[in-house]
Amino acid sequence: MYRHMLRLAILLLPIILTFLSLKTSAAGGSRKTDGHFKLLADTTIRGRVTDSAGNAIAGVSVLLKKGELGTTTDANGYFTLYNVPARATLVISSIGYQAREVRLAAGQTFISLSLTSDSGTLTDVIITGFQRIDKSKFTGAAVKLDMDRIKTPGQTDISRMLEGRAAGVAIQNVSGTFGSAPKVRIRGATSITGDNKPLWVIDGVVLEDIVNISNDQLSSGDPNTMLGSAVAGLNPNDIETFDILKDAAATALYGARAMNGVIVITTKRGKSGVTSINYTANLGVQLKPTYKEYDIMNSADQISIYGELERKGYLDYNSIANRANAGIYGKMADLLRGLDPQSNEFLLLNTPEARREFLMQYAGVNTDWFDILFRNALTQEHSLSFSHGSDKAQSYFSTSFYNDQGWSIADKVRRYTINLRNTYNLTDKFTAGFKVQGSVRQQQAPGTISRVTNPVSGSYDRDFDINPFSYALNTSRVLTAYEPDGSYSYFRRNFTNFNIIDEIKNNYIKLNLMDLSLTGDLQYKFKPWLTYNFIGAIRYVKTTKEHQITENSNQANAFRAAPNSTIAEANKFLYRDPDDPEAPPIVVLPYGGFYNRDEDDLKNYTIRNTLNINKTLLKVHEVRGLIGQEIKYTDRQNANNTGFGYQYENGGVPFVDYRIVKQFVENSLQYYGMGNEYERFVGYFANVGYTYNKKYTFDGTLRRDGSNRLGRSEKARWLNSWTVAGRWNMEQENFISQINPISYLTLRASYGLNANYGNATNSLAVLRTKLTNRPYLNDRQLAIDIEHLENSKLTWEKKYEANVGVDLGLFQNRLTFSVDAYSRKSLDLISLIRTAGIGGESIKAANYADLKSHGIELSVGGTPYSTANWKWETNLTFSYNENEITRAENFPLVFDLVVPEGGAKVGYPVRGLFSIPFRGLNEVGIPTFEDDKGGVSNNVFLQSDKTDFLKYEGPVDPIIVGGFTNTFGYKDFSVQFHISYQAGNKIRLKPSYKTEYSDLDALPNDFKNRWTLPGDEKLTIIPSIADRYYAFDLNASQSYPYNYYNYSNVMVADGSFVRLKSVTLQYTLPSRIIAGTPIKSLSANLVGTNLLMIYADPLLHGQDPEFFNAGGIAQPINKQVTLALRVGF
Amino acid sequence: MRKSFSYIILLSALTLGSCSKYLDKEPDNRTNIKTPEQLAQLLTSAYPHASYILFTESMSDNAEDKEGGGTGYDFVDRINAQSYRYNVVEESPDANDGPDYYWTACYKAIAAANQALQIIEESEDPAALSAHKGEALLARAYAHFMLVTLFANVYDPSTAASDPGIPYVTVPETETFKQYERKTVAFVYEMIEKDLIEGYPLINDQIYGNSPKFHFNKRAAAAFAARFYLFKQDYQKVVTYASEALGSAVTENLRPWNSTLTNLQYFELQAEYTKSTTRGNLLLQEALSIWGRSYPSLRYGLGDRVGNEVLFRRNVSGGFYAYDVYGANPQVYNIPKFYEHFVRQDINANTGDPYNTIPLLTGEEALLNRAEAYVRLNNLNAAVQDLNSFISENIDDYSPFTNKVTPSRCATFYNTGSATGVLLAALDFKRAFFMHEGMRWFDILRLRIPVTHFTADGGVIELGPTDNRRVLQLPSLTKQSGLEPNPR
Repeated sequence: MYRHMLRLAILLLPIILTFLSLKTSAAGGSRKTDGHFKLLADTTIRGRVTDSAGNAIAGVSVLLKKGELGTTTDANGYFTLYNVPARATLVISSIGYQAREVRLAAGQTFISLSLTSDSGTLTDVIITGFQRIDKSKFTGAAVKLDMDRIKTPGQTDISRMLEGRAAGVAIQNVSGTFGSAPKVRIRGATSITGDNKPLWVIDGVVLEDIVNISNDQLSSGDPNTMLGSAVAGLNPNDIETFDILKDAAATALYGARAMNGVIVITTKRGKSGVTSINYTANLGVQLKPTYKEYDIMNSADQISIYGELERKGYLDYNSIANRANAGIYGKMADLLRGLDPQSNEFLLLNTPEARREFLMQYAGVNTDWFDILFRNALTQEHSLSFSHGSDKAQSYFSTSFYNDQGWSIADKVRRYTINLRNTYNLTDKFTAGFKVQGSVRQQQAPGTISRVTNPVSGSYDRDFDINPFSYALNTSRVLTAYEPDGSYSYFRRNFTNFNIIDEIKNNYIKLNLMDLSLTGDLQYKFKPWLTYNFIGAIRYVKTTKEHQITENSNQANAFRAAPNSTIAEANKFLYRDPDDPEAPPIVVLPYGGFYNRDEDDLKNYTIRNTLNINKTLLKVHEVRGLIGQEIKYTDRQNANNTGFGYQYENGGVPFVDYRIVKQFVENSLQYYGMGNEYERFVGYFANVGYTYNKKYTFDGTLRRDGSNRLGRSEKARWLNSWTVAGRWNMEQENFISQINPISYLTLRASYGLNANYGNATNSLAVLRTKLTNRPYLNDRQLAIDIEHLENSKLTWEKKYEANVGVDLGLFQNRLTFSVDAYSRKSLDLISLIRTAGIGGESIKAANYADLKSHGIELSVGGTPYSTANWKWETNLTFSYNENEITRAENFPLVFDLVVPEGGAKVGYPVRGLFSIPFRGLNEVGIPTFEDDKGGVSNNVFLQSDKTDFLKYEGPVDPIIVGGFTNTFGYKDFSVQFHISYQAGNKIRLKPSYKTEYSDLDALPNDFKNRWTLPGDEKLTIIPSIADRYYAFDLNASQSYPYNYYNYSNVMVADGSFVRLKSVTLQYTLPSRIIAGTPIKSLSANLVGTNLLMIYADPLLHGQDPEFFNAGGIAQPINKQVTLALRVGF
Repeated sequence: MRKSFSYIILLSALTLGSCSKYLDKEPDNRTNIKTPEQLAQLLTSAYPHASYILFTESMSDNAEDKEGGGTGYDFVDRINAQSYRYNVVEESPDANDGPDYYWTACYKAIAAANQALQIIEESEDPAALSAHKGEALLARAYAHFMLVTLFANVYDPSTAASDPGIPYVTVPETETFKQYERKTVAFVYEMIEKDLIEGYPLINDQIYGNSPKFHFNKRAAAAFAARFYLFKQDYQKVVTYASEALGSAVTENLRPWNSTLTNLQYFELQAEYTKSTTRGNLLLQEALSIWGRSYPSLRYGLGDRVGNEVLFRRNVSGGFYAYDVYGANPQVYNIPKFYEHFVRQDINANTGDPYNTIPLLTGEEALLNRAEAYVRLNNLNAAVQDLNSFISENIDDYSPFTNKVTPSRCATFYNTGSATGVLLAALDFKRAFFMHEGMRWFDILRLRIPVTHFTADGGVIELGPTDNRRVLQLPSLTKQSGLEPNPR
């Protein structure tokens, strides 16, 4: 109890402190006014602050140098300061500008002054999470993005807002489901088997992932991917800036975690002297997909295909009656056999006419599954923030609520966030800050289980998939959702009734997530040039996924489907008792459904101590430095539980047949489990920077990291990383400063080493306890398996990177250019290598691969045209990155290389897409291919490690990515077009071809051109529908030419696209209208996201080039129109 | 200020000092062996969990080409087809039932044994773990024996000292690409014998808990020793060890084929055959294998030709075998012996891992090996006594009088001398009894029996007594570890 109280007190502490601070500062303020001893007549000073171009600067801090008075400027640059002592000195400062001190003349009541930007070059500081460095002295490659400029209302996950905004950053929306992460790559991939995602850092603290999701899992559609985005719990309105750190120098202080780049998020904080309240409302509509966008047969065409299937013996009504899955033919078979209880006649007469009539009633159905399963759903997001501050304490508080009614009928999201950030200036030297961030998410998704790979036939299997998007794409439009009387119409799936709407209501996943973090920081200024900083953070995330499968669901009823012995024998969900091998399989879930629970928890602590120096000697020698130490501690826990026989509609009483437990135990399946992962991390670091006369900067960093994942040997577990970098501000040189148009011109260069731990932890042999796979429980034993042999040479994955950059500003920075070129070499990458197996492990993970990559990034920005009323701002980003595996001892199999996710092979990119070379249709319309022996056949051995015959298509990751943004302003109106583009990659098309089709499948229109008659093989490449005889033969000889066809070179499209990512129309109410009201600002935005695909390969037929349609919970990003209102008080 | 400065230094020093311990935390729920029970669990992994049956049976004379001819039963399996043709099996090394997979599984078993031996050596009281040591040594010897038998020339006292063997591994591997030497078959046999002799007296069935049949129990260890010495042609030792394996009541260790088993239904028989409670099974291991589901319909297997030669005619005893051959036509002839234990990935998945329980050592093998050894030792009476024990459980309507096997009956039946006749009888019983179990190949190797395979397209494949194709090719990647491939 005591411990609970303590924990509560710790959690509440910052909140209490906030209220205290509000109270004391209010009281302090009044005391000052009342009790101030007036020596000289105090006056009210008004003033206006502008930049060198005469534009007002908002939020500038205006402080009395001696005393406690202070305020900030409003949106038009004005400020008012009351009770100012005469001839006082004001300190006027703002981030990005050089601070100024102004001594008031006697009797002066108005001052007007301009601030020059900080460095005289770029108006920015780079926040690395360890340091804040003037951009003019920053030697690395980094991009700073202001949230205000990239905010896209309606986008809830901030990582998606970065698409096309920063050169070098590629965002690929492999799934649009809330909580799932896009594929984020900074300068492409650095590792083959390990992580390639950047490190997210929020206010100096690394944001750990709740669950580790591998590169390929991102696009799997598995329920875990809903926890994939590290930043899904952040309220976009709380974010001030992103600093994207790209090269070795910029990321140097992250050392052994920095290989993939770092994205540093800085959140808002209160400002002294300003009280502001902001409210933002985003109201959005998500637009339903339509059949127009996709290539799917209508019901009339589909019926004619079924005619052919029937002729080829697939839909023979006797066998279909006992088939697991069936559509209208299954229904017909049931009617042909069923008797009318009254008349005792068959429900449907078995005559060609009656059968034809029955089928024909479905020909015109044309069910619009998109219309049925999707809706023009409303989303709303409300965010409220209070910001307040005095010289002694500043506070920022925000809360937000997001509600998504669900684009499909299967999903729903609610998210609540809270954020509280206080800073206390306890003395001149001592500052303390606290931040509490919390978010709660309640999400519903279609019930799904993880997919499994069948490497022999080359298919991904996912039973009970009810993903609405893939259902709509793959289900025949002949099927109906409703009967004429309005009730659901049922067709057969898993031997029992199935209706998608009914199933979605009875089979769903509820995700609950609570994420709470507390960050504290302390700063002590020993001397003006020597500061000590401390950051400590605690984060706790608790998530629960409840997969609720009610007793009415198809998934539960499948366990009970045994109407006759044929079906009982065929139904794999029944139980065959090994102790009674002759007995027919029996039902072991007589009542109820399932209640399956998964919990993923994260505990994370970070502590960091740093000592900073910053001193200018003899006016021209500026020395900066830092030494420090940090400790990170991360524990992840997953617990899962399968609940059998839960009766949702019968008092919630579980009915458990003991035999279902027996079945689980016999199958070596665990009906509950718990696993832990522990990460321990220690780092020491030092950095020195020296700038001579603002012209030349040199910078060097050393870091030493240790991790428990690299084992116990002192040699392996520690890694030293380092970088050196330099910068030349050429505009400071006379020969450049004389060139008038040039505002700044700088040259940067850096070289260094950083790292990441790879996907292996076997510095000592890894032993794992498991159950023996013996059929009888009396023989069952525990076994300890050597999962991995000791790898005495296990080490970190490392990367050397050289970067050269040039920044140029022209015409008072109206036009800016930034170009970076880099070359990277990744070494000691973990690669799965096949060995002779004599040690006892045939596939080992070892540091045996190298990768090289190079690229160029360009961004052009500026305000080419600007008058009092008109303004045009533009920003173009372009990045090019190519990588190649230069060494890897891995032996990829054919299947590894032809899957949509691509595979790793020496001499090719990290993820290259390969195809089985298609060699035309044979004389019966079955596709043939070149095989691993150089011959032509319809049998390709997918498990072969001879892969040279495969055709290389291209990388799966785009080589070129970028964005183009243009904003046109007229007075208070502005409109922004944001285009994102990518090029150079290849995509595998949706797998539409199968050896056997059923009367449930929806087929693409291409099927109209399929092989139907001998001789067609000369005219078409669309394979025939194999007749049953051939299909049987193919299956018996383990040949799956239709699957190989899906993996062939004719099923590949170009991944290049140009997308109109967003259009924003904005109106800001002019200040003269709101003057005199409490409202400080008011604006309205109308935003359309993903409205238009300007270019994509026509072969895609509407398939989203970014999206992996993997079923499960995966959904493409949708079209959305959002109205955003912002009011500030 | 100086004071707070020194506090910081002190703090950093403290964190520095303790961080080594801080980083010792294991990254996940891996196992650290601390108890003898855990050591026993590690040794549960010291057996090859793979099956040799598919390729050994397909190479043996128990296989014939039974092309389906449009019946739809023509199930072509690469390993089956390539083994039947004595080609090097080209399959993914991860494909279960292939030679490469079996190679890896044996070395995986050896690695577990070596890990256990290392733990025992480093323990405070190795003597207390002697039973574990015994099991580890036996398991290590067994896996190496199987490897040297399949992947090197069969033991021949005149050439063993020069025939290349297979690496005999005695320490856990700690580097990615370790180099190994094949040495010689004689060396490997020496090492096996050393482990066997050292381990055998240490065996104690007490440590095996509920399932001694899945470990080298005393009888199994003796049966393995009998097999080893039969290959080594040390027949007196075969008799000694086989007798230890069988005990005095020999039929207690034989399957009740002509009584209990023959009365079972198909699926019951399938299950019963490899149960640990069934008599005759001395050492069982589960193996990842699709053998159990595929052998009836494989293209190269038991058909009419082999059936008529081995099973469907009266044997030397004058009786018929009690083995129930099922299958509506020759394409699917099978004796149900393997119950497939299908371990699904999860309760809803279609995919999973099929496991078969494989009888590695049996009473019948020990008995028939002893019979052969008696023949070699010129003790024909003892030999036929063993054969009579065998038939008492294995032929239909067994009568000790009419079915009695004698040296002269063997001589007549095989139309040869009585010693050879008894030997042939023992080998034939073995061949019939172990149908679908892959054991025939080991006799073909050991006695250099020639094999002729016919193919449906009229081809004839002859395997001579010294044919290079008798020796399986080493997995191609062993070149990386410095091993010379076998000549083909």
